[in-house]
Amino acid sequence: MIGNVGAVFEFEWKRALSLTRKIWWLVLAAFPVFIIALVRFTVPQIVVLPQGSQIDRNFEAHAIGGPMDIDTRHEVWRQLCAWLIFALVPLLVSMLGTLLWTTPAISAELERRSWVYLAVRPDGATAVLLGKYLAAMTWVIPPAIVGLTIAVPLAATGDTWRIWWAMVRLVLLACPAYAAIYLALGVFFPRRAMVLAVAYTLLFEMVMSFIPAVINKVTIQYRLRALAAKWCDLQIPGGRESGAQSLIGNESVWLHITILICTILGLLLASIIKLRASEFSTSSESET
Amino acid sequence: MIELQNVTKLYGNVIGVNDFTLKLDAGAYGLLGPNGSGKSTLLNLITGQLKPTLGTVHVMGRSPRNNARLFRQLGYCPGGEGMYSDVTGYDWVRYLQRLQGMTAKEADLAAQSSLELVAMKSAMNRPISSYSRGMRQRTKLAQAIAHDPEFLILDEPFNGLDPIGRHDLTTVLLDWIGLGKSLLFASHLLHEVESITQSFLLICSGRLLASGTAEEVHSMMVGLPNEIALRCSSPHLLASRLVQEHAVDSLSIQGDTLTLATQQPGLLYEKLPGWVSDLGVTVLEMKSADESLQALFNSLMKMHRGEL
Repeated sequence: MIGNVGAVFEFEWKRALSLTRKIWWLVLAAFPVFIIALVRFTVPQIVVLPQGSQIDRNFEAHAIGGPMDIDTRHEVWRQLCAWLIFALVPLLVSMLGTLLWTTPAISAELERRSWVYLAVRPDGATAVLLGKYLAAMTWVIPPAIVGLTIAVPLAATGDTWRIWWAMVRLVLLACPAYAAIYLALGVFFPRRAMVLAVAYTLLFEMVMSFIPAVINKVTIQYRLRALAAKWCDLQIPGGRESGAQSLIGNESVWLHITILICTILGLLLASIIKLRASEFSTSSESET
Repeated sequence: MIELQNVTKLYGNVIGVNDFTLKLDAGAYGLLGPNGSGKSTLLNLITGQLKPTLGTVHVMGRSPRNNARLFRQLGYCPGGEGMYSDVTGYDWVRYLQRLQGMTAKEADLAAQSSLELVAMKSAMNRPISSYSRGMRQRTKLAQAIAHDPEFLILDEPFNGLDPIGRHDLTTVLLDWIGLGKSLLFASHLLHEVESITQSFLLICSGRLLASGTAEEVHSMMVGLPNEIALRCSSPHLLASRLVQEHAVDSLSIQGDTLTLATQQPGLLYEKLPGWVSDLGVTVLEMKSADESLQALFNSLMKMHRGEL
C-alpha cells in the first residue's frame, strides 16, 4: 500500500515538471513577494524601520486613534505586515495551490477515463487519492516557503525570524488542511468539484470565517488566524471592546493544532471510504 | 473462476444486467453481444467497478469489490482509451505496474517486456498523444498483461487495429491461452471471438441468451428453422415456388437475395435443385449460415425477441 502511494507520488511529481506547472510554481512563490514589495515601497512614509533606517519623525498616524510614538509605529507596521503575509501565504497561496492540485484529483481521472486503469490495481483507488494528496502538498509547500523567505525580510518588520517561523508552521498546517478539504469535495462531488471548491472557499473561508460568532470556528481560517495571532503576538484592531476577539478566539495553541490534525485525518478517511464505496462505470465513467 | 448468482444491475430505472446467473471454470471465453447489450456492465461487475443491485459476484472465489488480492491476479484492458496523453507509453505501463505492487526495477522490466510483446518497443518512449489508435490499443493490452495475471479480461481489444495488428493480437492471445491462463474477451463481432475461442457467452439486453461451446448451443437449436440465403436471377419466381411447395416457414427478398427459413432443411436441399432447374433460375450464390456462429447468434436473438 505504501509502495503504491509512493508510485502515484513519483508519477505525479514527474508529470508536475512540465513547463506550465513550473510557471505556476514560480507564480505562487513570486505572488506574495510582489505584493509585499508593492506595499513596502509604495507606503514608505508610515514605515518606521529599525536599525538606522530613515524615519519620518513628523508623521503622526491616527490609525488606532491618535498620535503614535516610534515604538507604536514599529508595532503597527509589524502587525500590518504580519497579517498581510498571513493572508498572502498561509491563506491565499496554500488555498490556491491546493485547490488547483487536489480538487480535480479524482474528477480528472474520471473525465479522462483513466480511472478504471487505476481502480483495478491493488488498493489502487486509495493509493491514487493519498499519492496525489502528498504530491499536491509537496508541490505547494515549497513555493509558499520560498515566497515567505523572500517576503518576510522584505517587509522589514524588525521581527523577521519570529514571523517567518510562525508562517512556515502555518503553511505546514494550512496546505494539508486545505488539500484535505478540496480533495474531499472532489471525491464527494466529482462532477462539480471545482465549482464547489471555489464556492466553499468564498463562502466559508472568506465570509463565514470573519463572522464574529461561534460559526466561524468551523472554518480552517479561524484556526490558522488564531495560531498566527498567538505565534506572532498579533491583535485584531478594536480588540475585545468591538467583539473582534471572537475572530481569533481564546483557545490554546494545542487545541487549534489538534483540531486541524483531526480535521485533516477525518477528511482523508471520509474521502477514502467514499471513494471505495463509489461506483464508476467504464462505459461512461460517470458515477452511478 | 467466475460465479454470478442472480445478478441484476440497475442504473436508476435502466437495467444494465438482468438476473444473470453464470458459472465459468478457468478457460477462455468470448463474451458476445450487440452494442448496448450489457457487456461492459458485466465486465464492470466482474472487475469490481460496480456492485450488483441484486445477487452476488465472485471471481476466483472472492468478491471483486476493492479486493487487492484479486487485483494482483487480474489483468484488465478496458474498452475506452483513457490513457494519459502527455506521458510515454513506457511511463504509463511502468506506472501501472508500480501500482500493481512491483518495485521500480521490476516495473521497468515488466513494462519493457510487455510492450515488446505487443510490438510497441520502438515507439514506447513517444508520448501517447502521438500514437495511432492501434498503437494505443496495443499499449492498453501491454498494461493488462505486464504483471503476468492469471485472468485477463479484455473489452473490445480489436477496436482500431488494422489486419496485421489483429493477426498479431490474435497470436498473442492464443499464446496466452496456450499457457493455461484464463481469458474473458468481450466483442460485438463474431469473427473476432471465433478467432480466439469456441467457448462463448451470448448476451443481449442484459440477459444471458446462451453459453457453452458452439456445438452445445447448436444442440439447443434442434427444431428451430435454419436460415438460408440464395442470390439468384429471379428471386420472386423462386420464392413463389417455395411457398407453393410449403418448403419454407418464412422468406424475404432484398435485391437479388432471397432469404428463407425452414424447419426441413434436408427436404429443401433435396428438392431445390429440381425446382431451380424447372424454373430456369440461375443461382449465383447459396449460403447456409447455420454452421457459423452468426446463424446461432441471429437465431438466439430472434428467440429472445419472440420471433421464433
